[in-house]
Amino acid sequence: MTDTATPSTARAPFAPWDRRDIPGSFSVDDTARRVGNYKWTEMKLFEALGGWVATVPELDVKMRLGTHCYHHAWHADLWNKRLPELREMKPERLTVPANAAMERFIDAMTEPEAPELTIEKLVGVYRVLIPRFIAAYTYHRNNTSEITDAPTIRSINFILQDEFDDWRDGEMLLQSLITTPDQVQRAADHQARLESIMVEAGGITGLDSIGTAQTTSTEGGA
Amino acid sequence: MRQFFPVEDLARDERFVQTNMAERMKDGRTAIDVEKQSSAKSRGATKRLTPERHDASDAARGLMHGIMVGEIQALEGAGRTAHDFAAGDGTGDTVPFELKLDMARQAWDEARHVEISAKLSDWMGTELGEFAENTVLFEAACSNDPILRLAGVNRALEGLAIDVFTQMKEFGDVAGDPFLEFCEDWMLADEVTHVKMGSDWLRKVTANDPDRRTKALEFQQVVDKLFSFGGARGESADSSFSLAKRFRELAGFTDDEVETISQMDAEALEERKEAVRKYRERVGADA
Repeated sequence: MTDTATPSTARAPFAPWDRRDIPGSFSVDDTARRVGNYKWTEMKLFEALGGWVATVPELDVKMRLGTHCYHHAWHADLWNKRLPELREMKPERLTVPANAAMERFIDAMTEPEAPELTIEKLVGVYRVLIPRFIAAYTYHRNNTSEITDAPTIRSINFILQDEFDDWRDGEMLLQSLITTPDQVQRAADHQARLESIMVEAGGITGLDSIGTAQTTSTEGGA
Repeated sequence: MRQFFPVEDLARDERFVQTNMAERMKDGRTAIDVEKQSSAKSRGATKRLTPERHDASDAARGLMHGIMVGEIQALEGAGRTAHDFAAGDGTGDTVPFELKLDMARQAWDEARHVEISAKLSDWMGTELGEFAENTVLFEAACSNDPILRLAGVNRALEGLAIDVFTQMKEFGDVAGDPFLEFCEDWMLADEVTHVKMGSDWLRKVTANDPDRRTKALEFQQVVDKLFSFGGARGESADSSFSLAKRFRELAGFTDDEVETISQMDAEALEERKEAVRKYRERVGADA
């Protein structure tokens, strides 16, 4: 039983159900670097999707690529606007790949152009790159400060919704296109080739994309 | 993937049959009736798409199919412009980052327009591939100068889309088809946005480069004339649809620019009529 509150009754700054806390794994500079990697990769992805629209004969795939092209452009825009808020006044300076392997990954992913290579195009995006985006964004969201870095978390939450929806679209298109053992092999071979380069890159932000699982503690490593 | 993608490599499924502007204009079924001796309900009495025309259903279906394949190419063109040029200050081979974002947004809009057009075509009883696809729209999106693409595609062709959608919206209203009118109204809103994007970026990127702006506007006029389909757009009853002046103003066209297009449409119509007369004289002389 509590006394009836009045407008001047003192209240705690955090409500009892608000468990957000200050500690986070990333400094401002760390965050800016990651955000720059996100922007670079989202840009490469929306450019690739836009470029591929004219190269795929399947009408439903064509329309999905056009739609997803904008989603990733919007993500790149969110990160472009976040960079100056992280003290980077020249966003293009940090708009770079995590490392040389990441750049090679994008080159390999965007290599297929012929109209009969729709499976390869979709595999690169929806079975390799977007799962890596989901992983890197989830790791960032779960490890950054819920209070100091709330703007990044808000953007990641919007972006993750797109990534999950787009991944589902792409995966379902692939399932509808892969109907023979030969096509299964093609998809698997291409995925393995790209995955090898991605493993070398370590993910969207390099080797620290999802932290490290090697720890003696029962808590997750970072 | 190549930086630039040629029109002849556009990927299509087996239903599509492609043609170009020259082939289309050679088709006798599109010829203008210069004699005008037809009855009130015949196509020759007016080229306007009205429910009274005996061929109104086929004409509307054909136009809808043309819109759909045009939207596919507009989607492809916007996607290519988002892809083909690196982000930069707008000089040389670069475009501002925000321009690339606008092109990606346009790609999404055009993808929705393809979806809408496919549903409308189905509603109107048209099958995909029933009519030929004229690839001239994508050709205008193949320039190596991104500003020429904006002038040719966003201002000339998307401007034409404003005129066509206005006509189709009116047709839906007069014909008692609220589904058609509803869809065209929404697509029209997007097209005004796309034309305005073109107008704004053209002015911004060429602010310190008058020669480039002049070239872009000249290219726009070439495309505008090409796409007037020999006077298909204009105030005359011989034209299929009119210039949607109000919407063009909203999209950033000046009064002078609208007047120039209007005059060009009238000239194109006269040129085409003259060409038809000469053709008939020649055929008559040969016979």
